[in-house]
Amino acid sequence: MSVSHSHEAHAHPELGFLRKYVFSTDHKIIGIQFLFSSVIFLLVGGALALLVRIQLAWPHAEIPILRDWFPDNGGRMPESFYNMAFSMHASAMIFFVIIPFLTGAFGNFLIPLMIGARDMAFPALNMMSYWFMWPAFVLIMASFFAEGGGPASGWTAYPTLSSTALPTGQGYQSPAAPNSGHGQIYWLCALLCVGVSSMMGSVNYITTIINMRAPGMTLYRMPMSIWAMFITAILQAFALPVLTVALIMQLLDKTIGTNFFLPDGLIFGNWSTNVGSGQPLLWQHLFWFYSHPAVYIMILPAMGMVSDIISTFARRPLFGYRAMILSVAGIAGLGFIVWGHHMFQSGMDPRLGTAFMVATVMIALPSAVKVFNWLGTCYKGNIRFTSAMLFALAFVSLFIIGGLSGIFMAATPVDIAIHDTYFIVAHIHYVLFTSSLFGIFAAIYYWFPKMFGRMMSEFWGKVHFAISFVAANCVFFPMHILGVAGQRRRIPDITATAFERPLLGLNQFITISALVLGTVQLIFVINFFFSLFWGKVCGRNPWDSNTLEWTTTSPAPHGNFETTPVVYRWPYDYGQVEGQAEDNALQTDKTAPPGIGEQHH
Amino acid sequence: MGKFWSLLFGATMAGCFGLFAVAPFVDGWWMPEGVSSHSDRIDFLFYAILGITGFFFVLTEAILVGFLYRYGTTADGTPPKLAPSKVANLLKPITKVLNDPHKIELAWTIIPAAILLLIAFSQVSIWAEVKYQSRYTDFVGKDTIPVVVEISARQFEWRVRYPSKSRMESFLNYTEKKDPTVKKDFESFAKLTKFDDVKNLPQALHVLKGHSVLIHLGTQDVIHSLNLPHMRIKQDALPGKIIPVWFIPTKSNTQKGTWIDGFNPDTKKFDDHHIWDIACAELCGWGHYRMVGRLFVHETKEDFLAWLEHAEKDANAKN
Repeated sequence: MSVSHSHEAHAHPELGFLRKYVFSTDHKIIGIQFLFSSVIFLLVGGALALLVRIQLAWPHAEIPILRDWFPDNGGRMPESFYNMAFSMHASAMIFFVIIPFLTGAFGNFLIPLMIGARDMAFPALNMMSYWFMWPAFVLIMASFFAEGGGPASGWTAYPTLSSTALPTGQGYQSPAAPNSGHGQIYWLCALLCVGVSSMMGSVNYITTIINMRAPGMTLYRMPMSIWAMFITAILQAFALPVLTVALIMQLLDKTIGTNFFLPDGLIFGNWSTNVGSGQPLLWQHLFWFYSHPAVYIMILPAMGMVSDIISTFARRPLFGYRAMILSVAGIAGLGFIVWGHHMFQSGMDPRLGTAFMVATVMIALPSAVKVFNWLGTCYKGNIRFTSAMLFALAFVSLFIIGGLSGIFMAATPVDIAIHDTYFIVAHIHYVLFTSSLFGIFAAIYYWFPKMFGRMMSEFWGKVHFAISFVAANCVFFPMHILGVAGQRRRIPDITATAFERPLLGLNQFITISALVLGTVQLIFVINFFFSLFWGKVCGRNPWDSNTLEWTTTSPAPHGNFETTPVVYRWPYDYGQVEGQAEDNALQTDKTAPPGIGEQHH
Repeated sequence: MGKFWSLLFGATMAGCFGLFAVAPFVDGWWMPEGVSSHSDRIDFLFYAILGITGFFFVLTEAILVGFLYRYGTTADGTPPKLAPSKVANLLKPITKVLNDPHKIELAWTIIPAAILLLIAFSQVSIWAEVKYQSRYTDFVGKDTIPVVVEISARQFEWRVRYPSKSRMESFLNYTEKKDPTVKKDFESFAKLTKFDDVKNLPQALHVLKGHSVLIHLGTQDVIHSLNLPHMRIKQDALPGKIIPVWFIPTKSNTQKGTWIDGFNPDTKKFDDHHIWDIACAELCGWGHYRMVGRLFVHETKEDFLAWLEHAEKDANAKN
């Protein structure tokens, strides 16, 4: 039973600029803060990706602008810089873009609004969760300039490359690689801060959703966005502590001479260790125990929001609402028992691999059910092709590709051939870029009016969509071919092997498409910032949607609702019925006649 | 406008499908030729999954594109006027299922579940044959001793240690003579370094066509990964562990007498496709991309032993 206080907006004195917009405890402001920082890191991560692509396409050429950065290397990118570029690209995108966008920005902004609450259960904790990101921002940017170079052992940071250290007292250099010294230490600390921020947020979201729903907002009347945020928060709460422990263990290995992950008898050039007894595989287990659920953290909120966006613009009830909830829960639950599929070839006992393989293959099932349900939602629809809808439909279309490609790598014998190749890179970018990020774009176009009271330009949104859709497929689809041919990941120069050399042309095509894809994102960024000030002013419900946030003003005021909403129906009452003027009914609408998208459960 | 968007989706997906259709026929754009005892079964599984996923890709994308084409809203926002559907006519036999939401949900849950379980359980034996150490003896056979080598991965090269020519000859002849002291000597290879072993030939792995190979894979610095793409072999090397890797090469690529790789036994010419790389497949530092070796498969036992004798002389001469 959920009770929301219906006291009027508290009579506090007018807050100054800093307390209102910077150190705010209002979930909407905090959500927007996460949004802005994530947009900035999206540009950083994107630029790093372009550096990687340029090196791959023209491995021996002097690079025009970069020539001056590398005077000692003939104007070409050193290999350690390349390794740092892809390591930081992934680290930025995962921890500073996708997770903060989905859980930090949209989790914060939407949860109280969509369940009819005035704010989160713990507003001050919420503010802290944002400000804990700032030490992380500083540390991760500082790591680029660390002595020895930025972290370059991959975002996966496997020991012993990442964590071998000189004996205590001899400094923080690493015998394994210069970048694994100070740079790696900054990286570990940055991720610790991000983890703390997320854990604070997850506790807040779970409590708010359980305790603070408006009257009539039963669990089975919550929109899919909220179900997804709820289950994602549970994933974060259970998985993050394991990552935190692993990061601390690696940090201790690097600073005070522990050997959690370092066996004895290591030899680097003239230097050797004879104290150890740690296990490199232990890091992999701990890291992937978090990082596999992390990928579901990075997709489930997008899936939830896409469900709401598609039903709104198809003017149809969401097909299979209960099955959708069960599928999200199934993906999350199964997601905790598949981490070993990242370790099939790692030297882990292959019998364990078989066990992980079965669970991994099965996780395709709830994902497939969700795809069929989205298709079912479009059936006999009255589809409005807005920018938000286009990105949401693209999510479905391209998640199909990402999900199907996962089945290849779930099959352990096939994984022998495609592990650590571009087939994996293709899969991850289909699920992270063309699914998660497109879902984020859909959500931004959709909820921008509620955040800022103005509309983004639909025309430029469609231009952004059309070019991004084609360019993204030109970038990531050919990577499947590269992977089948065996091109490995994390290689700056593929001309070194006979089997990869013939793929240079295809790599150049991908890079040129990537440059187009990167450039067109500027249209989005300009549209976003321009519309903040000069976008068309809009009313409460520009999309004729049903959920609670559209019952209040745009932008939503402090305290969210003039009076506590009372909920009478589920969110998916869409559908034109003969003789009725409206084809939708708000969740607070008591009197809408039956027959419009009636809930059948 | 709706039709434009559905066509954009459709054309892009068709392009993706087209790329997969064309790639196998473009030189260098598909799987390297499989030349090991493992490659047939692994490649078959790959093609089976490709067929199943390809079918579902075409089905679901066609449905999506079709729905977008047909159900786009009209200019004034009213639902579209729908012409009778040709597709609905084709689907008459399963209309009963399609019109009942519960039945259709059951169908699209049970059918994929069955297919996925089939994929999962049918592949366990292939994986076991390639990786389960308990299957190794069955694979090699009780009465055979494989070509045994030790590969030590280092930043940034592959160091290979072979038995001396006389030891290797006794191993290869074990099947006829079945001398138990030879069997014991083979079992000691991974544990001891005898003075007459051929040590640390960098970057080149020589094996014999049709004869099983056993690699003791180790490393003493960071994690590397032994990748023999043409053999469908990939195994991470872990510091602190020696991991066995086994396979049987089914084709040769080096010419008698000159020992250059790239020799195509069918055309009797040198051919880039027969240069078989050893690549490192786990990030190991700045030189990861350069950690490249060559795999030579000899056609006959005589040729292989002649090479080993030559290599032994060379290695000893340098000492």
